[in-house]
Amino acid sequence: MAETLAQLLNGFGLALQPINLFWGLLGVTLGTAIGVLPGIGPALTVAMLLPLTNKLDATGALIMFAGIYYGAMYGGSTTTILLNTPGESASVATALEGYKMAKNGRAGPALATAAIGSFVAGTIATILLTMLAPIVVEVAIAFGPAEYFSLMLFAFVTVTAVLGSSASRGLASLFAGLFFGLIGIDSQTGQMRFAVGVPELQDGIDVVVMAVGLFAVGEALYTAAYQSRLTEQVEKIRGSLMMSASDWKRSWPAWLRATAIGFPFGTIPAGGSEVPTFLSYAVEKKLTKHPEEFGNGAIEGVAGPEAANNAASAGVMVPLLTLGIPTSATAAILLAAFQNYGIQPGPLLFVSQGELVWTLIASLYVGNVLLLVLNLPLIGLWVKVLEIPKPQLFAGILVFASLGAYSMHQSVTDLLILTGFGLLGFGMRRWGFPTAPAIIGLILGPMAETQLRRALAISQGDVSVFFTRPISLGILVFTALLVVGPIAHRAWRRR
Amino acid sequence: MAGDAPGRRSLAETVIGAVILVTGVAVVINGRALAGGQSYALVGPDMMPVVVGVGLAVLGAVLLWQALTGGYRNGEPDDPAVRGEHPFVASAFLWVLAGMGAQIVLMDTGGFVLAAAGLFVCVARGFGSRRWLRDLLLGFAIGLAVFLFFVRFLNVNLPAGILLPVLGTAGL
Repeated sequence: MAETLAQLLNGFGLALQPINLFWGLLGVTLGTAIGVLPGIGPALTVAMLLPLTNKLDATGALIMFAGIYYGAMYGGSTTTILLNTPGESASVATALEGYKMAKNGRAGPALATAAIGSFVAGTIATILLTMLAPIVVEVAIAFGPAEYFSLMLFAFVTVTAVLGSSASRGLASLFAGLFFGLIGIDSQTGQMRFAVGVPELQDGIDVVVMAVGLFAVGEALYTAAYQSRLTEQVEKIRGSLMMSASDWKRSWPAWLRATAIGFPFGTIPAGGSEVPTFLSYAVEKKLTKHPEEFGNGAIEGVAGPEAANNAASAGVMVPLLTLGIPTSATAAILLAAFQNYGIQPGPLLFVSQGELVWTLIASLYVGNVLLLVLNLPLIGLWVKVLEIPKPQLFAGILVFASLGAYSMHQSVTDLLILTGFGLLGFGMRRWGFPTAPAIIGLILGPMAETQLRRALAISQGDVSVFFTRPISLGILVFTALLVVGPIAHRAWRRR
Repeated sequence: MAGDAPGRRSLAETVIGAVILVTGVAVVINGRALAGGQSYALVGPDMMPVVVGVGLAVLGAVLLWQALTGGYRNGEPDDPAVRGEHPFVASAFLWVLAGMGAQIVLMDTGGFVLAAAGLFVCVARGFGSRRWLRDLLLGFAIGLAVFLFFVRFLNVNLPAGILLPVLGTAGL
């Protein structure tokens, strides 16, 4: 523990250096400004700015990306509250009460509870990350392929478990992602799989191209086809930004409960922040002393989901940094940023690049403070961003999104693939297929296959390796409980 | 399902289910043709394709069955367009798609700046803008700014295309 603290303090020393502070500030500002734009979430924001890794050094760039990540999360809530257009699925729950508050002339307190709640939850979650990461690293350093494969299996089960009522479509999305992950050269035998003779597909489908296609191009096609003829009204901020004493009293417990819900969900691949935000909304609706206000602008309904959202964002960092496993689309693109520098996140990273990791973690604390300081005073500026007319806004988004996909390999083929994924994203949105499982499948599928085949190669085809290694067995037992548990519970209740 | 003809909707769902089913079968057949490496590690490059293909086929069959027996199951979808409340504006959809097409066609020959301008003007048109000359100039300006930033500052090469004589050998 003392060692962790020393490393963290050292990280703060570096993160607070003027140049790194500048990158952090630039990151949260850019992140918020772009995140405010309707239709752009954190995944897309980071993807569009990936080319910057060509110029910046690793520490500066990663600090900036962390700032963008947090900033874009925050920016989305402003859009949601003032425009009722959730920029990303994580903000949908906020829209339920936030927009109603804005309509009632209480936009100020809604934005304030979102900002302060994000700060509180983000900071607590970052503290949890700081304490948890070294413990996970200590366990994970002994991980072999068998443990990693068991972990992937656990990941697939959790993705499935949260799909809920539309399980068949969520699973179809996951398997589509797994299929796209198969395309390219097989890493073990060098055989080409499903590349249909296109040389550009040898290296597989890039997660950035797929994410930008599904999200940006798909969203643009969808919005153009179904919503371009609708007019939207940006709600004016009337009255004070200040929260009243009763607002504070009602927000506090919601922030804390939401942190407890959001953080664990961030650490497992449950498709990002969507589930914890809705869960937090449901909990607040159930516990509130003002049930009559729910549906008409209850402040708990904004405080909870927004805090859960940020706690989950910090939770995502745990598996990303300690295991190298991204659990959301944004994390997958952050992983791409690491890999552009030849840095492979995982337990060894804490040993080989300890200073970089702890500077990054320290910058998460700093980013949270910067967001709190920046956002409320600059709210007038963010509202201006919202007033960009839709035709030029979406045209600009697509120019930058295409740039993000094109500039990686300077290949027109990538633009064709991007357009293809755009059409797929449109169709998925139109017929109610969730996109997050597809991205998870694309990332985790190849990882799981590699680890499985490595484990079996080492054990010379002996499957018992997954059950004789204690950690692997533990993970598998836990996974099995996760599958059997709900079924048994249902059977029990039916009696 | 208000607004949209229920028959048409489940036709689309039927097609989607069938496509997923056929894709799954094709993945299994193609996957089984891959071979090598089994002797030592029990599983080779064909294992994962077969697993994924079987999964897709089963899910496609489930979705097909759902579509044929009254549509997808998930209660009331929360998206108005999925519920069929907003009409599909084909021209807007096609303009955005045309923008992507224009960009792809223009990138190698015309260069990045013209490709960006082409994309910009088409997408803006799709979203209902009528001032195409202003949009063209705006798209051109954005493209030019991005080009100069990337080539001069980031040292990332973007194609100059036919504007090469004007833009010079920037970045080199």
